[in-house]
Amino acid sequence: MLTELSAYTNRWRRVTPTAKGLFSLCGMIAAFAAGSSRTALLIALMLTAAAIMGAGVPPMRYLRVAAPALLFLVTSALSLLVSLDFGHNYATGVSLHLAGPEMTRIAHVCCRSLACLTALLFLALTTPLPDIISLLRLCKLPDTLLDLMTLCYRTLFVLSEVVHETLTAQSARLGYASVAISLRSLGVLIANLSVQVWQRSQALHLAAVARNNDGALLFLPPDFPHATRSISRAAISGILLIALAVTLP
Amino acid sequence: MTAAILSLTNVSYRYPDGTSALDNCSLTVARGSRTAVLGTNGAGKTTLFLHLNGILRPSSGQVRWEGTPLDYGRSELRKLRSRVGLVFQNPDSQLFSASVREDVSFGPMNLGLSEKIVRERVEEALHAVGMTDSADKPVHNLSYGQKKRVCIAGVLAMQPEVVVLDEPMAGLDITMQEELTTVLERLHAAGMTIIVATHDLDFAYGWADEAIILQSGRLLAHGVPAKILLQQDVRNELGAAPLVAEISSQLSLIGIDLRDKGYLPRSKSELLTALGAHIRQETKP
Ligand SMILES: Nc1ncnc2c1ncn2[C@@H]1O[C@H](COP(=O)(O)OP(=O)(O)OP(=O)(O)O)[C@@H](O)[C@H]1O
Ligand SMILES: [Mg+2]
Repeated sequence: MLTELSAYTNRWRRVTPTAKGLFSLCGMIAAFAAGSSRTALLIALMLTAAAIMGAGVPPMRYLRVAAPALLFLVTSALSLLVSLDFGHNYATGVSLHLAGPEMTRIAHVCCRSLACLTALLFLALTTPLPDIISLLRLCKLPDTLLDLMTLCYRTLFVLSEVVHETLTAQSARLGYASVAISLRSLGVLIANLSVQVWQRSQALHLAAVARNNDGALLFLPPDFPHATRSISRAAISGILLIALAVTLP
Repeated sequence: MTAAILSLTNVSYRYPDGTSALDNCSLTVARGSRTAVLGTNGAGKTTLFLHLNGILRPSSGQVRWEGTPLDYGRSELRKLRSRVGLVFQNPDSQLFSASVREDVSFGPMNLGLSEKIVRERVEEALHAVGMTDSADKPVHNLSYGQKKRVCIAGVLAMQPEVVVLDEPMAGLDITMQEELTTVLERLHAAGMTIIVATHDLDFAYGWADEAIILQSGRLLAHGVPAKILLQQDVRNELGAAPLVAEISSQLSLIGIDLRDKGYLPRSKSELLTALGAHIRQETKP
């Protein structure tokens, strides 16, 4: 939900998603084009700066959102770095090897992944999902897929509310007082949730039909002021980023 | 009396599980009228409303639009649903887009209007319910009452001839209830037909031209609220009568007549004004 929060509250909320998407895409291309770890790190730094200084995402929030992904990156880097050697005969036993000559290549891969991650984070932290969906619609993704995304996104919140309310209601009546009771309560919660999912989907269907729907879920595309200006700015900075990645060693 | 816009003749409805929710209901709603539907929980108000929009089809009997029985074909249903807007009881089951403005645009987009017109209508509808400031908020961050207002805007943006609201006041604060009453008054003045399900006797008494009382799926009474809400059987069924009417009738027992040009006060404010006027007259030397 931290991503949600910053997507809705950042300074660039009212900037057209096309511009932000374009910039993020350029960031990813630059990350791939980066010829050395240093260049990739520089790209990552610049993308982070764009999110923190440009869009005004608080640094701590940025870190907290990035943390799980960074953890994955670090563990995979470590596993690349260290290899187990079972030796030629069992007498010598198992030995750990640090990948010496491979070192630079591994560092390069990691830094590029980091840059890609920051490019994606930039988009996720500055653009609410509905905007991203409308961007994908512009990119001519199939309607069914987008409708599914819309409904899932909305249902996610409705369900999390139901779970939350049910949990509170159960706890209020000592539903989690002991392990055995907790297990039972959890079971009831899950059973109840399945019924709710079914009923909610039924209700949403009725509501859609009542408002004359008979097919794709159509909404007014959101209106963003100064779209052309933002897009050209994003394009220029994106291209500069790529140029930097290509020219630096 | 003006012509009937919607009418039910001997409508019965049974849910698939066998519950009989409507039982031989016959009623008419006049064009441009304000109708309140009252009944205890489970009396069948919601079920009745789902029939008006063609979502449920009577097990027996007929629903008519301007005298013509509904044809449940696809194109006819589309026409009906663009004429009859239905605001559901639970806002969470009506809102399925993530942002307020998007959700309000859903109905008009389904009508196949141009983007420009949709945009205008959405702004107009948001303005009517006082939600312009929250138009870009995600729906899940709104309060219950705000969600309800968005639902109403979503239906108003379709500019239907009839608006059917299922307990619109429930969950709204007093100011919001008054504002909503003003919105309803404006719609009424513009010639819209309005049907409201409510548990608020005083609201029904003060606002409606017609009241429909349901009792376990059957029509108990149908007529002018000032008359039928005071009937003994209706009073027994609903458990009370409108407070304003009770006070006026009690006062008339001790000889205080609050009638103004032959009309008894219908709302709390009218009652207070009438009482004030009466007291001033009494204390005059
Ligand atoms: N989907 C359903 N399946 C089976 N029975 C239902 C269903 N929906 C409603 N009922 C039953 O139909 C009857 C009428 O319900 P309805 O929802 O119309 O009442 P209501 O007057 O709107 O009540 P409330 O004031 O609580 O909203 C009730 O007895 C209810 O239990
Ligand atoms: Mg109901």
